[in-house]
Amino acid sequence: MNLFPLLPYTVAGIAYGIHFCRRSLQIGRLATTTLAAAALIHTFVIGMQTVQVGHLPFAGTEAVISAFVWLLAVAYLYTEVTTDERAMGVFIVPLLVVLQGVSALGDRVIEPAAPVLDSPWFAVHVLSLLFAYAGFALACVVGITYVLLFRELKSKQLGFFAERLPSLQVLDKMNGRAVGVGWLFLTAGLVVGAVWLFQLQPDSVDPRVRAMSFFDPKISVVLLSWGVYSFELYARRSIGWSGKRAAWLSALGFSIVLLNLVPVGYFLTESHNF
Amino acid sequence: MDLLLLGVSHHSAPVDLRERVDFSKRGVVQALQELAISSAPTEAVILTTCNRAEIYVVCENLETTRADLTRFMSRFHGVPEEELHPHLYSLSGSKVARHLFRVAAGLDSLVIGEPQIFGQVKEAYAVASEQQHTGTLLNKLFSWSFAAGKRVRAETGLGEGAVSVAYAAISLARKIFGRLKERTVLVVGAGEMAELTATHLQSQQVQRIAVSSRTLTRADALARKVGGTAVAWSAVDDELLRADIVVTATGASTPLLSASTIDRVMRARRNRPLFIVDIGLPRDVDPAAGELEQVFLYNIDDLRTIISENLARREEQTALAETMICDEVENFAAWQRSRGTIPAVVALRRRFEEVRKSELERLAPKLTGLTPEAKARVEEVTRLLVHKLLMTPTERLKTVNDEAAAARYAETISQLFSLDDPAQTEEPHSTEPGNEVSSSTSKAPVTS
Repeated sequence: MNLFPLLPYTVAGIAYGIHFCRRSLQIGRLATTTLAAAALIHTFVIGMQTVQVGHLPFAGTEAVISAFVWLLAVAYLYTEVTTDERAMGVFIVPLLVVLQGVSALGDRVIEPAAPVLDSPWFAVHVLSLLFAYAGFALACVVGITYVLLFRELKSKQLGFFAERLPSLQVLDKMNGRAVGVGWLFLTAGLVVGAVWLFQLQPDSVDPRVRAMSFFDPKISVVLLSWGVYSFELYARRSIGWSGKRAAWLSALGFSIVLLNLVPVGYFLTESHNF
Repeated sequence: MDLLLLGVSHHSAPVDLRERVDFSKRGVVQALQELAISSAPTEAVILTTCNRAEIYVVCENLETTRADLTRFMSRFHGVPEEELHPHLYSLSGSKVARHLFRVAAGLDSLVIGEPQIFGQVKEAYAVASEQQHTGTLLNKLFSWSFAAGKRVRAETGLGEGAVSVAYAAISLARKIFGRLKERTVLVVGAGEMAELTATHLQSQQVQRIAVSSRTLTRADALARKVGGTAVAWSAVDDELLRADIVVTATGASTPLLSASTIDRVMRARRNRPLFIVDIGLPRDVDPAAGELEQVFLYNIDDLRTIISENLARREEQTALAETMICDEVENFAAWQRSRGTIPAVVALRRRFEEVRKSELERLAPKLTGLTPEAKARVEEVTRLLVHKLLMTPTERLKTVNDEAAAARYAETISQLFSLDDPAQTEEPHSTEPGNEVSSSTSKAPVTS
């Protein structure tokens, strides 16, 4: 089922690429419309899966990645419409295509979640983290574009990116806000997860719940990403690490998030295999 | 009726002559009025900028009007004809359209793609139109030129990229800071270049402009000109802490701002970005300062390189722009050709209207018994009938864009309806009155 939105996401990605190169308004509008259609189809797919299993389809790595893609698409569309800035699409939408591709490749029939997940904490925990990851993804892309523009301005070779991207200051502000929002959701998601775990662990016989500790890769890596983003926020406010340094930190932070979402989620964790 | 253009521009005349034939000195309105009195163009627009003075007219006879316009320019500006003549250029027909479209698109400008000319063409037309010196042909020509100019700017990169030092500095500042409204500017130096750049920055409505010079009175004079504040030379370091944009343009022989000074300032600013435009020769800022992370240092050569790159990019776009202009000229010429049948259409409509009116007059005694409403109805029905009968032939004639075909159609219509013979107006009187009335009334329900 995760294949259905993949095609329109791919078409939107191509359209954003052409728009970025040619700066044609019509193709830009086509790209936005296609992405909106893809997000709509994706919403429908997630809705179908929810009806099918009776709860939000957030159990299992593929489902979580797919939900993350959906959330990121919606968050990006919101950003594009409110800022009237389409240049980021060429960086965000390919990420959506790759992640949705990963999710579709391992597409399994969504099964009802394990009894241990039958809790209101579950949706809050997962949704908070997905919001956080969407914010970090936006921050990472904005940070990369900042570095590209920064290099052109420093080298005095203005060209491709200077013509297409918003100003450095705007990009820096966007990065700061996206990391700030992402950090709040990440912290909330981790706190909710920890409280829920303390409630579950004494009595739970589920080996996955028993495996949840600081030493489980999924948990230790997410804590590492929390540390990186916390440092970025601190450094931005207290020691003037804005601009390029903040951009690199958000790229580092999101690499850790991606590492946690795909390889760690698939192969290493013993605690989060629902 | 044909289009004619007579003018001088930077292509044909030196600046001293262009200054002498500047219509804005005595006023374009005055010129249009004198032109209307002195010669016989039916429509006229005068375009005057610092680089051109052009008269666009619609006339019957190209040769005599050309001579009239030359005499008019000579007399109006007090420049002898023999002095003016070698620098004048004259175009007619579709070449006028091509020239004006190129002018509006910025292709004929000294700096290719400069945007001001588009507004100047619009202004020239607005003045002529307001003074009622334009008619169908010039209205169409100028509105077409606006569309062509807009199209070229929208679909090519002809107007993109700064092509002056001050604009290059502003566009760089925008690329770093976005909107400049909340920015603080420090201008070091009070010379011509400093003033020019400060004036451009002022037009961006920056929050504050501080001006510093070794001579405080000069700094004060410039500050007053640009709505800024003069600061003492000794306070430059403090101002560096506040400023987002620094413009240096002094004649100092050694750098005023060393890399270590700027490094110290950047630490105190907690790495807030600093854009420095060093347009002094020799340079006022140590080039090593450009290596500092959030310092964007551009000197005069860097800005000139950007300008020449932008100009080269504009040049690359000219071929595409010229193709678009050719398309637009062709479309305009087709529209003009289709106008060849317009006199025939007008004459035909006039003839039909005359017939209608004379028939109604002739039948007036028989219609006396009708109520005013019924009479009005008869009037309306006959008008609709004529309109409907002529609608299809009128539309067909308007689509003929081949000059020879248009002439043939016009000739045929003229012969068929005897349009050249005014006596024919009375002809319908010979027809049977009873039939006319019955046919009109019988058609009334159909046309209503």
